[in-house]
This record gives sequence, C-alpha cells and structure tokens, in this order.
Amino acid sequence: MISVIDSIGLSVIKTVIMVRDFVVLTLRTLVYTFTPPFRVSDIFKQLYFVINESAPIVIFCVCSAAAVTIIESSFHMKIIIQNDALVPGFAALLILRELGAVVSALLVTSRVGAGIAAEVGTMQITEQIDALKMLGINPIRFLVVPRLIASVIGGVVLSILANLVCLYVAMLVSQYKLGHSAGSFIVAMRAFVSMQDLYFAAIKGACFGFVIPLVSCYFGFRCKAGAEGVGLATTNSVVTISISIITIDFILSWIFSYFY
Amino acid sequence: MSDAQVQFINVIKSFGDRTILKGISFEAKQGEILFILGTSGTGKSVLLKNLVGLLRPDTGEIWVDGEEVSQISEEKYFDIRKKCGMVFQHPALFDSLTVFENVAFGVRKHYDYPEEKIKEIVKKCLKLVHLDDVEEKLPQDISYGMQKRVSLARTVAISPKILLFDEPTTGLDPVTTNAVNQLILDLSKTLKTTSLVVSHDMHCALAIADRIIVLDKGNIVDQGTPAELKASKHPLVKEFLMEATTHA
Repeated sequence: MISVIDSIGLSVIKTVIMVRDFVVLTLRTLVYTFTPPFRVSDIFKQLYFVINESAPIVIFCVCSAAAVTIIESSFHMKIIIQNDALVPGFAALLILRELGAVVSALLVTSRVGAGIAAEVGTMQITEQIDALKMLGINPIRFLVVPRLIASVIGGVVLSILANLVCLYVAMLVSQYKLGHSAGSFIVAMRAFVSMQDLYFAAIKGACFGFVIPLVSCYFGFRCKAGAEGVGLATTNSVVTISISIITIDFILSWIFSYFY
Repeated sequence: MSDAQVQFINVIKSFGDRTILKGISFEAKQGEILFILGTSGTGKSVLLKNLVGLLRPDTGEIWVDGEEVSQISEEKYFDIRKKCGMVFQHPALFDSLTVFENVAFGVRKHYDYPEEKIKEIVKKCLKLVHLDDVEEKLPQDISYGMQKRVSLARTVAISPKILLFDEPTTGLDPVTTNAVNQLILDLSKTLKTTSLVVSHDMHCALAIADRIIVLDKGNIVDQGTPAELKASKHPLVKEFLMEATTHA
C-alpha cells in the first residue's frame, strides 16, 4: 500500500517539476522572442523547413480528407433526409472550423515536431548544446526562438492554405461526384460560413504552431543518452503535442462559439 | 582566495541519491597543466562541467579567475565561459555547419573581427591540429579523429585563458595524440593558458602534466607532480602506472 502511495506521490512530483520546467522554458522563449538580437536568417531557414517542406504533405492529406468528408456527408444525408443539398454548406463549416486547422497541425506535428525533438535531442546527447553554452550562445535564443517564430507563422499560413485547398477540393468533388454546380456550392457555403471562420482557423493555426516547437524542444533538451533516448524524446513530444492540439482545439472552439 | 586561477573548495555534487563528487578540493595555478585521472564513472567529467556551470554543485565553492561562480546566474556564467574553452568527450560539432563555420563560430560570437582576420584565425587553428583542406566539409564527412581535432581547433580559436579537456585523445591515433599533447604543452608555455585535462591516460599525464590528481569514487585519492605520483603507494595509482609502463 505504501509503495503504491509512494509511486503516485513520485509521479505527481515528477509531473509538477515537468510542468514547472516547461513553463520556465515557455516564458524564457517569449522574453527572448521579443528582445534583440533577432536571428533573421535562422527564422527564414526554419520557415522554409516548416512551410515549404510541409505544404505538399498537408495539401495531399487535406485533399483526401475533404473528398472523404463530402462523399460521406452526402451518403448519410441521402439515407436520412433523402436529399444532400445541404452537404456543401455543412462540409464547408466542418472544414473551416475543424478539419483544415487540426489536420494540418497534426501533420506538421508528425513532420516538424518529430524533426525538432530528434534534432535537439541528438544535440543534447552529443554535447552540442553544452558546446553552444561554452561558446557564449544561449541555446533557447539560438534553437527555440527561430523555430517558435517560424512555426507560428507556418501554422497560420498552412492552416489558411489547407482550408482553401480543402474547400476547393470539396467543391470539385461535389461538382463531379454529387452533381452540385460550383455556383450552388459557393452559395450554400456562404450561407453557413463567413470570413470570420477563416480568421478563427488562422488563430487556431497560430496556437498549434506555438505549441509544436516548445514541446519538441522541451523533450529534446531532456533527452537521455543513446538512440533509445532520442526515440523516446521524439515519441513523447509527438504524443504530447497531439494531445495538446486536440485540447487547445476544444478550448478555442468553445471560446469561438460565443462569437458565432 | 589564493593566487590559483581555478579553485574547488569542498565541492559536493549528487544526482538523486548518488553522490558523484564527495567534497573535492584542489586548485590550478595560471599556466599550469593539471591532469585529473581516474577510471570511468568516477566523476571527472562532472567535475569539469561544474567548473563552467553546465552542472551546479550542491555545496562548496568554485573560484574561476578570482570570482566565486557556484551560485551565479546563467546569464553571468556566459562571461565566465568566455574565459574558458572546453573540448568535450564527443566532438560536439554543429552538424549543419561546415568545419570552417564550426571553428569560426565562437570567434564571430566573441570578437568583432573582419572576415579576413576570421579566415586567418581558422586556418591557423586548423593547422595547429594538423588539418588541411577540410574547411568546406561537413562534420559527418570527416573521420571521428578529425572531428575531435576540429573540436580542439574551435576551442583554441577563441583564445581562452583556461582550457578544459574532457578526454581529448580518446579515439585518436598515436601521432595525433602526441600532436594534441604537444599543443596543450605549447599553449601552456607560450600563452600561459591554464589546462585542466580529464583523462585515464597516465602515459600522457606523466609526459606533459605539471601536477596530477587521481580521482576515485568521487574522492581525490592522491595528487602531486609526475615524479611524486611515480612514488605513490596507492593501489589505483600503481595500476595506472603499470598500464602506462605497458603502453610506453
């Protein structure tokens, strides 16, 4: 019994310490983000990595998601109300409020988040982080800040891009598969969604983009020696970011619901 | 505070319930080459990392160049680290930068030199460690031994007052090992650089050290000049000496 209580107590203490360390990392990163020197070339390098190299994967996946969404919606609506005239509107609503931002963020997590955790973790175990400190470089300023800025901008850009591509593909599918004209799709869409939904999707993208590098760098900095350590840091970061994205999405959707 | 450039006073460092350094006290004077010998896992690297704030001691005092540093903030430590150069156990080169950029990295950070001067320093430092025509290569495109030498060149490039070597010759061929030892000796004699060398190579220590400290299970078990150590009765020191004689 005592050992059970001990282990629960130990887990609570470990969690509190982890949360404290993460908050400290976040606050330090925020302070360094808004104070010079600004590493502009590093930010652009990371922007290229986040946006340019993620965009094809995001576009491919959201196209598939859009097609599935509209076909499935039509199938079920036809069964229940024998009519799928509302499908374009509902699909647009679902895409703009959830699908575009969340799917693109989860894809960026698997690509960028895992990449950052593995890179920083490897730097940690091969003493590169210590070498940075020895050369007078602050690792948070050098590694975390450029990735954070790039990821927030990338999150917004990819979220908007994913939503637009998703809507376009949904329109094509509804036109060629379901028989709705492009005009009727747009009319139905405008009845259900507005520009505000796109702004909210961009805000979601920024929030998801904020979490991805912070969590990845946090686990990277805590990486234990060996290939297993790097693997664990990467897995932990992807799992934690994915849970965070779903949780943040719920919180933001709940907050945004007061503005509709 | 004595005239020592580096001084440890009763330093204790633990990880969880494992005490790694159990009240270590020693000092190193300017220009001195101090070897810290010991078997693996005795806390040699931990000792060096405590000196430059990469780890913090639980208790005790650490003095660097007349300043007590064990409790100073991370920001203040950046100034202390400017005085110290450290060659790590791993080469610790930045993967995304070329050899040239790696060596120039610290110089660019610490000095406002024109590009020509930086090129000159990089070439000079690479020549010191017997490396030519590798400037444009990435660390992963050169051998491990070469990476360690680049790491040494990067450390020397910023002209530190105190040099810390964490097993600098591990994994190097005998020719390069001798070159590295000679370099440590030259820097000490010409620039009066204080060198703390963590190693388990008694042969090298006897060849170039001014003083040797032998560490075992977190305690200093013996210390003195190479001549004094040769006369030591401590079993671990005798074992090291026997090993050195075999390799000589």
